[in-house]
Amino acid sequence: MNNVTVTAVVKHMKKTPALSGVSMTFGGGVINGIVGPNGAGKTTLLRCMANLLTPESGTIAFETGGQKLTPAQAKKFIAYFPQEPSLYPDLSCAEHMQFFRALYSLNAADFKKRSDGLFAATGMGRFRARKAGALSGGMYKKLGLMCVLLNNPEFLFLDEPTIGVDPVSRRELWELIHRFSAGGMNVVMSTSYMDEALRCGRVFVLNSGRLIAAGAPHKIMEDFKLKKFEDIFLK
Amino acid sequence: MKQFLTNVYAVALKEYKHIVRDPFTLAVALVMPLVFVFCFGFIIDLDYKHIKITVRDNDQSAESRRFLYMLSAGGYFDLTPVHSPLAADEDLYKNKFPGLMIIQKNFGKNIRAGDVQNPARVQLMADGADNARAGIILNYMTAVSQEAEKIFGSSPRFNADMVRTRFLFNPELNNRWFIVPALSTIIIALLSILLTALTVAKEWENGSMELLLSTPVRPYEIVAGKLAPYFGLSFFNILLIFILAVLVFKIPFNGSFILYLSACVIFIIGALALGILISIITRSQTAAIQFAFAIGMLPGFVFSGFIFPIENMPAFFRGLTFIFPQRWFLTISRSLFLSDASFSALAVPFICLTIFSCVMVLLSVKKFKKDVEP
Repeated sequence: MNNVTVTAVVKHMKKTPALSGVSMTFGGGVINGIVGPNGAGKTTLLRCMANLLTPESGTIAFETGGQKLTPAQAKKFIAYFPQEPSLYPDLSCAEHMQFFRALYSLNAADFKKRSDGLFAATGMGRFRARKAGALSGGMYKKLGLMCVLLNNPEFLFLDEPTIGVDPVSRRELWELIHRFSAGGMNVVMSTSYMDEALRCGRVFVLNSGRLIAAGAPHKIMEDFKLKKFEDIFLK
Repeated sequence: MKQFLTNVYAVALKEYKHIVRDPFTLAVALVMPLVFVFCFGFIIDLDYKHIKITVRDNDQSAESRRFLYMLSAGGYFDLTPVHSPLAADEDLYKNKFPGLMIIQKNFGKNIRAGDVQNPARVQLMADGADNARAGIILNYMTAVSQEAEKIFGSSPRFNADMVRTRFLFNPELNNRWFIVPALSTIIIALLSILLTALTVAKEWENGSMELLLSTPVRPYEIVAGKLAPYFGLSFFNILLIFILAVLVFKIPFNGSFILYLSACVIFIIGALALGILISIITRSQTAAIQFAFAIGMLPGFVFSGFIFPIENMPAFFRGLTFIFPQRWFLTISRSLFLSDASFSALAVPFICLTIFSCVMVLLSVKKFKKDVEP
């Protein structure tokens, strides 16, 4: 089983507290959602897990294949796709895949197999030659996912992947994420859309850098006696 | 009218807030004028003084000593006597001294005799590779010779024409020979610094750096990968300038081409790494461009010896020129174009250039952030 255990993590961005001692365990088998309004600390937590930020205190431990790893050691098992547009507008989809193939040191046979699989799974095969700058919001996100998934990671961290995406593309993205999760990948994604929280198997609700609830979304609604999920932030 | 003023005030107030809240723009607006006035005020001194000339006085007469005194009295020439003809030539060819003056035997006797058949002769050989300095040497020499005419008595006793000046490396003091080899320094430094100054900042600004850093790629691999294509581009440019200089401007290339290429490689690596370092520090394309222009242009024109003589600068600024690679590459470029300078003659510029490039590459790798910490 692939687990990520976050223990008492504290992180300030400049002088503002972004995470104030959060602890949680992200287990595999379900989609883990980090839910919260803007400024809740979702991106900071994902960046800490992806080894892009170092917590001031607390630990983050990865467990995969029976071995325990730090974020730095686990880097080769992690795929992280940030919220901001982060692809190269003048490179085509195929060129992006080739670039990430080199970064992940994949051999030609593995690359072909995975690349073809990803193009087929995302329905992006027709757009291999299209430049990233000319893709729609949904296709752009799919390309980003394809790039980071080339490495066949154990952990997939997605920072608000559906933001700015039309409803059809959003549904397609969710289908893809479900498929990866069902395939054994530990998927952790952040979202500020409360309807998306309900699609996750397990959610961790953050507010102002603190964990205010964790568990299955319907269980949280029952426990907190919520009519709508977003009401949790009013409690 | 009232609406106009209200709108202008609103926009002006917004701009004012942008400026005071952006430390870089504020620094450019307030500090740059001071830096420019301070630097240029001290550095721009077109009145060449203390030009080092070695003197071989083969006559050692009262007249020759008088002539040399007149030369040094104005403060324009610092004279260093030498007795070995070989040492004097070597000093000139190794760029230790920009001029060598030879006072011929019987200089004093010929003045006293006033014999038309045997005039008093002085020969001056000056380094023509530095065109501006060579021109000034010629002007000063003419003025001093005319003064000597008045003192020694005009022809046949002494005639200003009897001071023969010959310019080595650039006999006709062709301006292009002087400027084009130096221009390659300015162009390549600016281009190389500017090209790479944008690359890392662009990745930070468009968010792709975060994605890149989340992959297993290491900082030195990113730096090397970013340097490689721009190195090729800059190297192509420097070869293009070289071909234009030789074929179009007909500038002779007298030195070792291998030495020239080696200097180009070291210089380009240093300039590209400096650009990367600017990009790493600023993380903003606008700030990187401003920095790159300031660091690429100003030292190229001011601290390299391209226009203003380094030897005329105050000690502090003279010391400052040591850290700018443009100074060293310009010295190597001019020396290899116009004279057949050997590696030993160019050892100091080569060492300084290499140190600069190594420091820039190491700093770029060290300063390259492996995370997205603010």
